[in-house]
Order: sequence, then C-alpha cells, then structure tokens
Amino acid sequence: MLIQTISLGKKYKNGIVALSDINLSIDYGEFIFLTGESGAGKSTLIRLLFREELPSSGQILISGRSSIRLSKKDIVRLRRNTGVVFQDFRLMERNTVFDNVAFALKAVERPWDEIKKRVPRVLERVGLAGREQENVMHLSGGEQQRVAIARAIINNPIILFADEPTGDLDPRTSMELMQLFNEINEQGTTLVMATHDKTIVDAFNKRVLTLSAGRLISDSVGGWQL
Amino acid sequence: MKLSSFRYIVPQAFKSMLHNGLMTVAAILTITISLFLCTAFWLLIINIDANARQVEEDVRVLAYLKEDIPDGQEEGQAEAQPEAQGEGQPAALPEAQSAVQPEAQPEIEPEAQTEGQTEGQAEEEQEKQLEEKYAVIRDEIMAIPGVASCEFISKEEGIKDLGSRFGGVDLKETLGGANPLPDLFSIMAETTDDVAVIAEKVSEIEAVDVVRYGEGTVEKLFALTDAMRRVGVAVMILLALAAVVLIAMTIRLAVVARKKEIMVMKWVGATNAFIRLPFLLEGVFLGLLGGLLALVLVLIAYVNAGDYLASTISFVLVLDIGQIWLKTAGFTLAAGLILGIFGSLFPLANRFMDV
Repeated sequence: MLIQTISLGKKYKNGIVALSDINLSIDYGEFIFLTGESGAGKSTLIRLLFREELPSSGQILISGRSSIRLSKKDIVRLRRNTGVVFQDFRLMERNTVFDNVAFALKAVERPWDEIKKRVPRVLERVGLAGREQENVMHLSGGEQQRVAIARAIINNPIILFADEPTGDLDPRTSMELMQLFNEINEQGTTLVMATHDKTIVDAFNKRVLTLSAGRLISDSVGGWQL
Repeated sequence: MKLSSFRYIVPQAFKSMLHNGLMTVAAILTITISLFLCTAFWLLIINIDANARQVEEDVRVLAYLKEDIPDGQEEGQAEAQPEAQGEGQPAALPEAQSAVQPEAQPEIEPEAQTEGQTEGQAEEEQEKQLEEKYAVIRDEIMAIPGVASCEFISKEEGIKDLGSRFGGVDLKETLGGANPLPDLFSIMAETTDDVAVIAEKVSEIEAVDVVRYGEGTVEKLFALTDAMRRVGVAVMILLALAAVVLIAMTIRLAVVARKKEIMVMKWVGATNAFIRLPFLLEGVFLGLLGGLLALVLVLIAYVNAGDYLASTISFVLVLDIGQIWLKTAGFTLAAGLILGIFGSLFPLANRFMDV
C-alpha cells in the first residue's frame, strides 16, 4: 500500500472543517479521480497527501509510516518521490521552458551534465520537444501546463498529484492533457487528480473518490458519481 | 549539500541582489555608514590610547624656573623665603607644553643687540651671572638620585619649539613680541618609577617655580578613552541594529520575490539548506560589500586626517596606517560578515522557509 488515511480530518484555525473522517487507501500504479463540488475538500486532501499541510486529526500512512512523524530528511525524500501539478501552473514567468524544468533538478542538486541531458528528454515526453529556449509566458495555457507536468515528473516520482490541472483550459486542450496524464500513469506513476470536470471523469474508466462537504461519500470505479 | 550546488546558489544570491535593486543599495549604504562610524570610532580610541600610553611612558620632568632667580641660589643655598611673588610668576602654561618632547640645545641664546659699549658689557655680565646660576641649578638637579640627564631650554627656544608644533607659526610675533614662557630644565629620569620622587625633589629647589610631569594627563586620557569606549559601544550597537534591520528587510523582500521558486523547491524535495543558502549568502554579500566600502572610506579618511594632524599639531601621535590597516580591515570585514549573517537569519527563521 502506497498511501493510507485513517480517520483523516482537517479543521482550519478559523473553525472551518475542510475534511472529516476520511478513510482511503491508494495502491502503487493507480489512477484516481478526486471529485466533488468546489469547496468539497479536494484541494485540502491533496495538500495533506503531499504534506503541504498537516492533518488536525487522524493519520496518513505513506508506505506504512505516519506523515506526521517524518524527519526533515524523510520529508525531503518523500517530496523527491512525489510530483505535483496545479490549476494555475505555478511557473517562473520570467524564465525559459528549460530553466523552469531544469529548476526541479537543480533544487535536488543533480549535476549539470545530467540536467542538460534529462530536460530535453522530459520535454519530448510531454510534447514540447525543441521548445527549451522559449519564455514560458509566450506559450499557450495547455503548453504551460505541459511545462509544469514536465517539471513534476522529471524526478521520476512514484506518485503524481494534480489539483484541477485542466481547470483553466478549453475542452480540447484538456483532453489532450488527459491523454498525457494517462500515458504517465501507464508508465508506472500513481496518479491522484482532483477535478470537477464530469466530461473528463466520464471519459476515463478509473477509480473515482467523491467528496462532499469534507466527507468521502463514494469510492467506486467508473464515471461521475454525483 | 553538494559542492556543485554552489553553481546555482552563488549566482542566485547575486541575481537576487540585482533584482532587489534599490533595497540592496539602501542596505549596503546603511552597512557602510554604520561600519564607517564604528571603525572610525575604534581608530580614534586606539589612537587616544596610544597617546595616553606614550605619555605614561614619558620619563621626563619639566622644571619651570622663576623669572627672577634668587641670588642665594648662586651659593647653592635654598632660601626659606621665596622671592618675586608678583611680576615674576610665569603665565599658565599650555597643556601641550607639558607633553612635548623637546629637541632643543642646552645652550643659552644670546640676548638682544647691545646699544652701547657699557650697556653691552653690563648685559654680558648679567648673562654670565645667569649662566652660572643655571649651572648651579643643573648640578643640584643632577645630584638627585635617579636623574639620567638634564637639559636647559630657554624661553626663546621654548616658544620657537611650541610654534613649530602648531604648524610652524611664529608664536612670539603672534603674541606681539611677548614671550609668556619661562626658562625650564627638561629632566630625564632613569625609570618611570623615579619620576614622582624626582619631581618632588626638584620642586624643593629655590629657583624652580613649577614642576610638571605626566601626572593627571595619563589619567585624563585613559578616562577619555574609557568614556569614548562606552559611548562607542552604545553607538555601535544602535548602528549595528539599524544595519541588521535593513539587511533583514532586504532579505525578506528577496524571499517574497522568490516565493514561487521556494514553493517549487519545497515540492520537488530541496533541502532546507539548499533553500536558505542563497538568501544567507545574499546577506553575507551585502555585509561584506558594505564592510569593504566602509573600509576604503575609513582608510582614506584616516590617512587624510593623519596628514592634517601631523601638519598642524605634531605632538599628537597618529598610529601609522601600515601598522593598523590589517587589523582595521579584519575588524570592518568581520563586522560586515556578522551583520550580514545576523540580518539574514531573521527572515530565514520563518516557517515558510521550512520543508
């Protein structure tokens, strides 16, 4: 088991309960849609799963170890095995495609020779071959998200979290990106994707976790549940 | 932390400094001003200290003679009743005179031109008598145990010497031909321990009016350096605080400007050290740059001030720049480095910077 949550809950300081009593498990190689209306707690769950935030109750076990008890070193190791993609891409706007992707390797202190070889390879994988020197702001939304995906997968993570990755994109571009995510999953990366796009969920016959008002209301394989 | 990572970290620190532009300039200038004042203060203190030490080591006793030497002195007898209370008293001496190291010759300068033969003869006779009186006083002084040497300095030599110490002015002319200085004997003691006893003995000689040695001056100078040190430390702490706050603000701005990059670094698994080091380095660069600027300015100022002092009041001891520049550089740059590190530690203690 890759990830397991036990009675997971998150209550913010302002009193809002974002999640309560979430019990779920994610296995290696799975592709999971996390669905629900806006404010249902999808983003919160993702943030808890990649340890951007800590739970206020319950536990998250990652490969059997509690996420709360991880040492700094373990957190670093966990993050190096985790990729994350957001709705708003979160790229460094002034930089080129190459710099944005290479940054993920620099940050984990890979040697320069390796960075030069690996960046073009991953760009080819996400369909941006030869676009290294372009400024990211000159790219379309779909292309920018591909840069973000390249950055997230260049360290070959075991699991990739995507929080509404197609939220800002038109339907056609969204479907193209979904194909890319599917390929990444088929190559062995576990994928957890938060989305409220019914079309996308229905188009792929995957496991769907449905959240409503911070609670997990269904966990089934197939299309949109709400 | 891998050594190769510095290929990223070092340029990153410089890029951030350039990106921060005005804030970087403000921080560097604040550090420069703070360190310039701190170093200047420190230099002032060590120079006053050196002057005090020089006075302390001075084994000289100055015996100022009365205007009219009593006749009894000729026979070497000390009379109980001092003469010539009124007009003969020498004017108060300038403080500087007691701390000088005169190089004058022991001869007595011939007095003014004779008008007539008889007058000239009379004057010569008077001079001869005076010389004899001085010889007797000298013998008396030399007889005191612990006296190494004794040198006569006439009032004429005294005023010339004093003038030269204040940038070569003709003091006598400035004073309208009058010379307020008395004749004096400059007595060298064998050791500093003997100075007080010798002074005491010399003061008992009838012809001696006032005896001066380093007493009081050293204490005053040390008290001054002590007070300056206290004020200096207070000023330094305030200035250092201002510099630290400005560095902290600059680094905070740098952190905010690179918020997104820091987030990405955290997501992909960068270590705490890797995330923080560019900012720490930026603080260090700011501190060192400010320190370097301050050092250059302070050395230029020191050399100029030293030259000015040497040409105006030469009895003041100014430590040679060659002797102290290394210490000064060490002081200024180390202070810059410490300010830089401290300044950047505050914004980096933020939880946002944690993985």
